[in-house]
Amino acid sequence: MKKIVLGLIAAVGLMVGAHANTGGIAWDKAPNNLNDVASLQNGAKTFVNYCLNCHAAAYMRFNRLKDIGLTEQQIKDNLLFSTDKVGETMKVTVDPRQSKEWFGANPPDLTVMARSRSGANGTGADYLYTYLRTFYVDDKKATGWNNLAFPNVAMPHVLWELQGKRAPIYATELVHGHETEVFKGWEQLTPGKMTPLEFDQTIGDLVGYLQWMSEPSQSKRVQVGVWVLLFLLVMTVFTWRLNAAYWKDVK
Amino acid sequence: MSDTLAGARPNDPSKRTWMIASSCVGIAGAAATAVPFVSTFQPSERAKAAGAAVEVDISAIKPGEKITVEWRGKPVWVVRRTPEQLAALPTLNSGLADPESKRKQDELTPIYARNVGRSIKPEYFVAVGICTHLGCSPSDKFQSGPQASLPDDWKGGFLCPCHGSTFDMAGRVFKNKPAPDNLEIPPHTYLTDSRLLIGENAKA
Amino acid sequence: MAEMKEISPNAPAGAKLLNWVDNRFPLSKLYNDHLGQYYAPKNFNFFYIFGGLATLVLVIQIVTGIFLVMNYKPDAALAFGSVEYIMRDVPWGWLIRYMHSTGASAFFIVIYMHMFRGLIYGSYRKPRELVWLFGCGIFLCLMAEAFMGYLLPWGQMSYWGAQVIVNLFAAVPFVGPDLALLIRGDYVVGDATLNRFFSFHVIAVPLVLLGLVAAHIIALHEVGSNNPDGVEIKATKGADGHPLDGIPFHPYYTVHDIFAVCMFLMVFTAIIFFAPEFGGYFLEYNNFIPADPFKTPLHIAPVWYFTPYYSMLRAITGEMVLVLIACVVAAAAFSVIKFKMPTIFKIVIVGAAAAVSAMMLSTDAKFWGVVIMGGAVVILFFLPWLDNCAVKSIRYRPSWHKYMYGIFVVNFIVLAYLGVQPPSAIGERISQVGTLFYFGFFLLMPWWSKVGETKTVPQRVTFVAH
Repeated sequence: MKKIVLGLIAAVGLMVGAHANTGGIAWDKAPNNLNDVASLQNGAKTFVNYCLNCHAAAYMRFNRLKDIGLTEQQIKDNLLFSTDKVGETMKVTVDPRQSKEWFGANPPDLTVMARSRSGANGTGADYLYTYLRTFYVDDKKATGWNNLAFPNVAMPHVLWELQGKRAPIYATELVHGHETEVFKGWEQLTPGKMTPLEFDQTIGDLVGYLQWMSEPSQSKRVQVGVWVLLFLLVMTVFTWRLNAAYWKDVK
Repeated sequence: MSDTLAGARPNDPSKRTWMIASSCVGIAGAAATAVPFVSTFQPSERAKAAGAAVEVDISAIKPGEKITVEWRGKPVWVVRRTPEQLAALPTLNSGLADPESKRKQDELTPIYARNVGRSIKPEYFVAVGICTHLGCSPSDKFQSGPQASLPDDWKGGFLCPCHGSTFDMAGRVFKNKPAPDNLEIPPHTYLTDSRLLIGENAKA
Repeated sequence: MAEMKEISPNAPAGAKLLNWVDNRFPLSKLYNDHLGQYYAPKNFNFFYIFGGLATLVLVIQIVTGIFLVMNYKPDAALAFGSVEYIMRDVPWGWLIRYMHSTGASAFFIVIYMHMFRGLIYGSYRKPRELVWLFGCGIFLCLMAEAFMGYLLPWGQMSYWGAQVIVNLFAAVPFVGPDLALLIRGDYVVGDATLNRFFSFHVIAVPLVLLGLVAAHIIALHEVGSNNPDGVEIKATKGADGHPLDGIPFHPYYTVHDIFAVCMFLMVFTAIIFFAPEFGGYFLEYNNFIPADPFKTPLHIAPVWYFTPYYSMLRAITGEMVLVLIACVVAAAAFSVIKFKMPTIFKIVIVGAAAAVSAMMLSTDAKFWGVVIMGGAVVILFFLPWLDNCAVKSIRYRPSWHKYMYGIFVVNFIVLAYLGVQPPSAIGERISQVGTLFYFGFFLLMPWWSKVGETKTVPQRVTFVAH
């Protein structure tokens, strides 16, 4: 009976909790580049240049970027815009009330955004990777932009110059007996400065950076963990033999 | 079945071996576990950032002028001394408590400030503006000549309003005053002729 | 001068020091009574490690909690930021945080296993009722501690989870809204709530927990531990006065528990270092969004360890209240018809049933949901007096009892799973059946525990030498 109980516990444990869908499309898989320092540095550059104008990352210090291979001088020369001290956090100068007026919603802080968006559809990085690549032109919105992963988002397509203007193509299909609009692909209205592959790569780097920023100690955590577990394995073997040495006396 | 004390000192070799082995590994593990906990006591990144060195542009200071900069919560003065003030410094030694700045050298006077003017550049005097008596911030008294609370042969310096301690234009305290020591010279270095970094010594 | 024990002046210094202490403080007596000469049954199995593990996790939570409090700020404007400060700016702060968050979930896993052991081996039976009662008290305190601790990071789940649960108190008739206001200290969950939850979580409840744990262990040591066979080892003593089936806790169970601790730590640290979020169950994703009183997340669920009870809460709809009324009426009718009792008692029972039914019809189903959810925990307190089986341990009970316990466990897990999911029609149905089974298991136990043929309980424990 114990086996059945434990088996059931394991089965339930493997089931992933479902979180309600915001109504967007299924998420693409973000590339895993947490070990690619060059990619993370490129992502940091994109982040500082495009995102920090409106979004803050108030818990992230500039000098923590040393963890992804940048020197303090490189950080000071290329990445410090809103402050002159490399130990400062990535605060933003725009007044939250003003940005709420302009956009309808206050641009949220991005420090742990990649951790907060994980769900049943994938990791937070998957969501961000999909979100940043599925903006399209929509005249009915105040900003002129809409998004497939986050319908009716208040954020404009900040990277539109790189990706160009696009519109989604729908086809009417029968799904479960209902006539539904199914997303089929993209129509490039005006070209961007990057090719689609280059843009995907840039976003991959940016999302990798966002994922790194949401938990800068993650690589250290895994490294320390390996040693801790090896140590505990040795300790467990020793205490197992110690236990056996005493219990052999018990009849 | 075993006796009460058998647990303390096992005489069975296999018990003893594994007891020693487990104890060694256990103690090592406990020590290793304590390290991160004790480390949390160290200054955090925020404390280190707040205490970081401050860069000052000194090009705009005119002779006889002083600016004040904050470093680690303390006021740091940068005074551009006039040639008269610099010339007067050696003449004051007999009236000073510690003219050679020998007291508490490691705390108050870094190696590069162990000179007449207690500075790297004679023209620019950099000091922590906190009286060594009880911590008030002394006032500027750069005018020479007789004034209230100051001797008739005053050559310029600082007067602490709280208990009347006086310091010269190199932050050296006068004799028979409540303050025991000369003003503290903070670690500092010149990045260029116009950029002064307060809080760090020159990199070797 | 009190009667002092003398010791030879030639004795070693250590012995003399011990003698000095023993003459003033019962150190050796405590050691003997609780470790060296405390005889525990030799046939403890895997399920018996969880008490020791629970103590370990309590210590881990207290120590990591002390270090977290050094840097945490219990202020609605600063709390979320202070947690990220711990994660990023405090050296090794991330490790302390993960130990504490994983420890909270680990505590419940260990406690549920510990309670399950008590359930299947009849550890709550006479003379150990008080051990069980103190344990139920610890469980209640633990739930309160976890609930209040969860508010502290001030994320979206923290805020809205607290808002929902405190509003449950508002469902109490007459005093509800004022009670909720008193708990919150404000009209909505806010800074006042955070500060008082911080005080309770850090000081008040841990002190109560420590007191209850001490009482729990003292009560246990007074009567001696149960064992998987349910055999009372003190019934068969040897010439030396010690139970024949007992072994001194130290060194046998100290060494055994250290081994168990190492295995537990392997699992514990694997989670901390490789999967601290544990799929969003140990650290919920929504909690990485700072609390926003104007925006409720699409899907609020309590943390996994509360979800079985949450399912029961959600199951009590208007429809379900009618079913419950039927149960109350049926129980009253059955007891009046079946049992011989003075007429006045019968009138009282019928009257009470009528009053309760009227109350249930006139009040909000939400309130009865709260009653059921609370009742699900409170009913545990009564277990020693509900179990009428002739034998303690499941090993000697009628075979079909094994299925009852098996279904109970499966039911509990199903209720937990449904609590995590968003509400659905079929989920609601299953939760309702599950709630009825859960309460039926306990409330009908006085009868079903007597059905079937028990096996003969041996005089001595079953033990296979290692």
